[in-house]
Amino acid sequence: MKRYDVLVVGAGPAGLSAAVEAARLGLRVAVYDENARPGGQLFKQIHKFFGSREHKAKIRGNKIGEELLQEAAAAGVEVMLNAAVIGVFAEKEVAVRVNEQILCRQADALIIATGASENMVNFPGWTLPGVLGAGAAQTMMNLHGVKPGERILLLGSGNVGLVVSYQLLQAGCAVVAVVDALPRIGGYGVHAAKIARCGVPFYTSHTIVRAEGVNQVTGAVIGELDKDRKIIPGSEKHLAVDTICLAVGLSPLSLLCALAGCAMEDNPAKSGYVPLVNRYGETSVAGIFAAGDVSGIEEASAAMIEGRIAGLAAAQRLGFLTQEDLDARVAVQERALASLRQGMFAPGSRGQTFTATTEGCPLSQNLLRQGYLTDTELSAYPGVVWAEGLHPIIECTQNIPCNPCRDACPKQCITVGATAGQITALPIFDAQKGCTGCGLCVAACSGQAIFLVDEEAGEITLPYEFLPLPQKGEQGLALGRSGQEICAAEVVDVKTAKVFDQTNLLTIRVPVQYARQARFFRRAP
Amino acid sequence: MTRINEHPILGVYQKGEPVEFTFDGQPLRGRAGEPLALALKAAGVLIHRYTAKLRQPRGIFCAIGRCTDCVMIVDGRPNVRTCLTPLAAGMDVRTQYGRGEKQ
Amino acid sequence: MMLERGDIGGYIPAPDDDLLVCRCEEISQGEIRRAIHDGLFTLTELRRFLRTGMGLCQGQTCGRLVKAIVAKELGVSPAELEPITARSPVRPVEMRVLARNQEQKNG
Repeated sequence: MKRYDVLVVGAGPAGLSAAVEAARLGLRVAVYDENARPGGQLFKQIHKFFGSREHKAKIRGNKIGEELLQEAAAAGVEVMLNAAVIGVFAEKEVAVRVNEQILCRQADALIIATGASENMVNFPGWTLPGVLGAGAAQTMMNLHGVKPGERILLLGSGNVGLVVSYQLLQAGCAVVAVVDALPRIGGYGVHAAKIARCGVPFYTSHTIVRAEGVNQVTGAVIGELDKDRKIIPGSEKHLAVDTICLAVGLSPLSLLCALAGCAMEDNPAKSGYVPLVNRYGETSVAGIFAAGDVSGIEEASAAMIEGRIAGLAAAQRLGFLTQEDLDARVAVQERALASLRQGMFAPGSRGQTFTATTEGCPLSQNLLRQGYLTDTELSAYPGVVWAEGLHPIIECTQNIPCNPCRDACPKQCITVGATAGQITALPIFDAQKGCTGCGLCVAACSGQAIFLVDEEAGEITLPYEFLPLPQKGEQGLALGRSGQEICAAEVVDVKTAKVFDQTNLLTIRVPVQYARQARFFRRAP
Repeated sequence: MTRINEHPILGVYQKGEPVEFTFDGQPLRGRAGEPLALALKAAGVLIHRYTAKLRQPRGIFCAIGRCTDCVMIVDGRPNVRTCLTPLAAGMDVRTQYGRGEKQ
Repeated sequence: MMLERGDIGGYIPAPDDDLLVCRCEEISQGEIRRAIHDGLFTLTELRRFLRTGMGLCQGQTCGRLVKAIVAKELGVSPAELEPITARSPVRPVEMRVLARNQEQKNG
């Protein structure tokens, strides 16, 4: 039987990170993945990641995936694709199905990084062709260049739903509605805001009543929910859509852990049935580790750190690292993890409702319900400073772990938190530092929440990631934060640069009285 | 247009050679190596099968090989997950009725 | 949990009983609710009796939905229910492949 020092199940962000750490310390490491491509979901995540530099913030998920694969290859990790692990047995023996064969493999340490599966909801018509998972939509458009549909209803306003909605717009689809049964948008406000200003309406406290159609989806009916989550009679609304996309959460894919005999718990804070793990990610079975979504649903940035910790710990168990060395290295990773796990979206904050940021700024209720900030709410935040001349307006209003704006500014005009690890603080703009209007912060903001504004000139520079790219001199319409048309606008500049990483900077000119409202440009039909 | 020609982030997709295959005997075109399910989708085919009990139409649901709703009869073999099967020239793809027993 | 048949009352039809829950085996909410009220209180029993989660996808789509229905009918939280037994193979494998593998093992 073929043996490895470490066998990793799953070549996603956690599995690859674990493999890289262990292999770099000289262990013989193999990663088995049932898919034809490695990287897990990373290659579908074409948006810029949150976090700070150590979490690969402002780098797009697909690029992080490429980097991880290069690191794995350089470290000598063996990656086996189309290899589905179908069983785990005593003595860390695993059965792997490859084509027409079942292979047996054994390892001294096993790292289970099988990720998550999508939750589904059922409603009349949910089996019709045209109803699909959000992951399916991402696979179609981001991996294979096929649109999931033309007119789409998205069910679920967590980060997955919001990110997929934006990606659907980038693929050229119309997002007709984002519907969520909860009274609040579940994901980051900045993700909601960037689709709201494109004109996507949010229906919070709504649910899907039925999908219509005989052979495929031809429409959908949604209805408003009362406090007891019952549909309010007469609130039903028909939407002309051809596709219904479900983004209602993820569940840990932990069956292999249970099969391996690991102690398990059903923990709603971790979104499901998960193995119990210690600080190293080790389960109750010595030498079997779990890392990433399989041990609790979080962002991919957290999965990569958990992977690294498990990889290091496996190396220590096998005698490739001293306990002292391990603890020193794990402490660094734990600090990185702790900085990600702060703020109102942290795993520990699940189920809590916040009314203000840690700075004491009131949270925009409109952002939570409709996906956009109103003009009156805006001035409450430290990134919004109405100064003379060209300067950034940072519409970042929730405590999200993210600070690329601070690192992007060559003049140090932007600060995020008093200490390096405090990355959930709202960014503060200091007009005295001499902003040059370079626009680097606009392109660096993963939430696309920064705009350069020159009120006297009526000019707004905004991030733009759609095709076709408007041309200088082009006339069109300026849209407000809600996606409403507010006035005519002219494109006065279009900047594209390698450092912007596919985020173009579009400068539009509007009548000066609209400079505080105009946040998106719609090309003339 | 179901296919995206150019994407603002991903640019121009790398695609396989154009190939012909048949769906229920009717010739269709797709790109070699792309998932069969997406070649069908791009060609406007959404119904992959009809269920055993209720005879209801089904198509792509998860697109990653989990749900098995997209199975069809491919080159005579029933229950083939079309979302995981790369398209090859000349493939004979048929709507599956029920569990794919011989009709 | 020591519930006995009848403790949760008899099956009362609901307007959304037609709703399909298990897509593979085409099992409706009503069939599941009726089976629960007939005394099948665990996910494993339901699987054996109705085949919920026993189709090609092996419950990857409906597992959570079935669990929610059982929890609701029994008046407990889904987390309190005994999880389904994890068994190899956790991914669908054709009998052909398993049989050939056995042949190889036996030499």
